[in-house]
Amino acid sequence: MSDSTTDALSAVAVDRLSLGEPQWLREQRAHAWDVYERTPMPTTRLEQWRYTDLAKTLDLSALTLSESQPAQDDPTTWPERLRVAMDEDHAASGHIVFIDGRVVHSDLDPSLVAKGVILMSLHEALDQHSHLLREHLTTTVPAEDGKFEALNAALWADGIFLYVPKGTQLDLPVRVTRWLSESGTAYFSRVLIVAESHSRISYVDEVLSDDFSSQTFTSTAVEVVARDGSQVQYVAVQRLGTNAFYQSVQRTLAHRDSKLDTLNVGLGASVSRVDLNAKLIGPGANSDMLGLYFGDASQHFDFNTSQDHLEPNTGSDLLYKGALDGDSRAVFRGIIRVHPGAQKTDAYQTCRTLLLSPGARVDSLPNLEIEADDVKCSHGATVGQLDAEAKFYLMSRGLDRVQAERLVVLGFLGEVMSRLPLGGVVDKVTRAIEEKLAQHG
Amino acid sequence: MSDVPVLRIEGLEAKVAESELGILNGLDLQIGKGEIHAIMGPNGSGKSTLAKVLAGHPGYEVTSGTVTFRGEDLLTLEADERSLAGVFLAFQYPVEIAGVSIANFLRTAVQAHLPEGEELDIFDFSDILTERMAMLDMDVTFAERHVNDGFSGGEKKRNEILQMAMLKPKLAVMDETDSGLDIDALKIVADGVNKLLAEDPDMSVLLITHYQRLLDYIKPHHVHVMVDGRIVESGGPEVALELEANGYRTYETIEPSANGSAPVA
Repeated sequence: MSDSTTDALSAVAVDRLSLGEPQWLREQRAHAWDVYERTPMPTTRLEQWRYTDLAKTLDLSALTLSESQPAQDDPTTWPERLRVAMDEDHAASGHIVFIDGRVVHSDLDPSLVAKGVILMSLHEALDQHSHLLREHLTTTVPAEDGKFEALNAALWADGIFLYVPKGTQLDLPVRVTRWLSESGTAYFSRVLIVAESHSRISYVDEVLSDDFSSQTFTSTAVEVVARDGSQVQYVAVQRLGTNAFYQSVQRTLAHRDSKLDTLNVGLGASVSRVDLNAKLIGPGANSDMLGLYFGDASQHFDFNTSQDHLEPNTGSDLLYKGALDGDSRAVFRGIIRVHPGAQKTDAYQTCRTLLLSPGARVDSLPNLEIEADDVKCSHGATVGQLDAEAKFYLMSRGLDRVQAERLVVLGFLGEVMSRLPLGGVVDKVTRAIEEKLAQHG
Repeated sequence: MSDVPVLRIEGLEAKVAESELGILNGLDLQIGKGEIHAIMGPNGSGKSTLAKVLAGHPGYEVTSGTVTFRGEDLLTLEADERSLAGVFLAFQYPVEIAGVSIANFLRTAVQAHLPEGEELDIFDFSDILTERMAMLDMDVTFAERHVNDGFSGGEKKRNEILQMAMLKPKLAVMDETDSGLDIDALKIVADGVNKLLAEDPDMSVLLITHYQRLLDYIKPHHVHVMVDGRIVESGGPEVALELEANGYRTYETIEPSANGSAPVA
C-alpha cells in the first residue's frame, strides 16, 4: 500500500462530497484532506500499530467510494439480515437505518422530538441544525489526530447526529442498524452524540454484512460529549463478514459528574481496529469501558484504548474480555494516563482472554502513566485456556463438547454484558456468539 | 434383582494418561439394580480414579479390563454419552463455571437428556426445578447463582445432589461426598440422597469414602475395601465397622503393594 491513494479516495472525491455543503464544512474537508496527505501511513514501527501491519492488511488504493443511489426508506426492499437484526431489537426511542453508507431511514418518538431531542442523518442536520454541527463536528476527533482520523474527516459520506437537550431523559435506547453490501468499497461515516447537562441516553449501533468477495473498508469516527451530570451509554456491535476491514475511532468526553460508558462488541470482519479514548474532563466524571470479542478462523482484532484523567475525583473502569478460536488473534493495548492535578483518581484496566485453540494468540499490553500522587490505579491482563476440568464437569452432565464449550465461553464473556445490561443487546450478542460457536463444532 | 447387573467391572486396569503411572490394578466389582455399595480405602488407593474412569475423565487411560453398564460397554462412550446412558458422578471437587447460572446449566443438561428432537418446555422445567429444590430444602434463589462460584463446601455438595435429582441417574457414583463437610452439612446431603433413593428404589449407588461416618447416614448393602488399585475385601456393613476399629493398616499388611511399599494415608 502507498500513501497516495488512487482516483477513488482523492481531493476530487472530497470536492464532489463538498458540493452544496456550507463553506465551513467545505473548508473542514479540504483541511482534513490536506492533513491526510501530509500524514504518513502508520507502520509497525509505531508502538500503536506494532501488531497490525497495514502494509499487509489494507490496500486503500484498491477501494472505490460508493456510487450507488441511497436505498429506499421501505423495509420490504431491505436485505433480510438487516430486517432480522432490527426485529431482534427491543423497544427503542428512535431508529436510524444505514444502507451502504447512507442513512435511508430515521425515526424518533414524537414526544421526544417535542422536547427538542434531535436524531437524524448528518445531511439533514446540516440543513436544520447547522450551528450545532459547526460547533461540534470534528472537534472531539479532529483530523490532526492521525491518518485515519483525517481521511474520515475529509471523506465522510453520511453520519448520525444525536442531540439530547438539558435535563431530557430517554428511557429507551436509540438503535442504529447498518448494512453494507458492496465489495471493494470504502465507507466513511461519523457519529456525533451530544448529551446536554443532566440528560440521559443509550445509543446502540450495530453494523453487519455478508462476506465480501474483496476487501471492503469501513471507517467510523465517533464523537460523544456528555455534559455535566449526564448519563450516556454508547454501544457498538460489529458483525461484518470476511474481507471487511473495520476501523473505528471513538472519543468520549465526560464532563463534571457525568457517567459515560461504552461497550464495543467485536464478532466479525477479517481485521478490526478500534481506537477508543475516554477523556474524563470534569471533576467527578466516570466512565466504564467494556469490550467483548470472539474471534475465529484468521480474524484479527486490535483494540487500542486510553483513559485520560484530567480532573480530580474521576473514575474509569475498563474490562475487555475475549475468546479466540482457530488461528484468530487479538491485540489489546491500553493506557491509563493520570494527568497532573487529577488527584483521587480511580482507574482500572483489565483484559482477559480465553484461548480456545492452539493456533489462537493474544498480545496484551497494559500501561500506566501517572502524574498525580493520590490515586488508585491498577491494570492486569490474563490469558487462559478452556479449562479441561470444567469441560469434563459439564460433559459428565450430558452436555456434548460444543454445548460445554458454549456454556463456558458465554459464561466467561457474560460478565461484560452483565455490566451493561441493555435490553436486547445481551440476547443479540449471545445469539451471535452461539452462531459462531456452532460453526466450530 | 435382575440377571444383568447395572455395573460390572472386570480386571480393570487404568493409568494416568500419557504416563506410566498405573492406579487401578485389576479391579473387579459388580453392582446390581437398587444396590448401595461403598468402597473404602486409604488415600492413594485409587478410589477417586475409579470414579473418574467410570465417568469418562480424559485424564485417565484404561489399559486392560472391561466395564459394562446395563449390558453395554461403558468404556467406548464419551463422558456425555455415559451421562445420557444414566451414569452420574457426584464430584469430590465440583468445578466452578464462571458466569453460568445453575438454572441455565441444568436447563442445558436436562435438554441434553431428552430424546432427539424433543424440546424442553421452559415452564415445565421451572416447575420441576422448583419442586426438586423444595425437596432438598434449598432456597429457589440458589438456582440463580453461578455454578459453584464462591460456594461453601456444603453448597457445592448440595449442588451435586440437586443435579443428581434433576438428571435421575441409574447409577450414582459419589466420590468422597463427605469430604470437607461438617456433620450438619453431611446430614443434609445424605438426607437428599436418601430421598432420591426412596423415590427411585431401582437407583444404584456407589459411595466412595475414606471414612465410616457417611455410612451412618447412607446405609450400604455391600462394603468393599480398596487398596493399591484393587478390591481386597468385600462384605456387608460390618466391614466398615471393622475398618473404623482397626484402620487400613491390616489390609496393607495382608496385601502389600506391588513395589513392596504400601502407600500410607
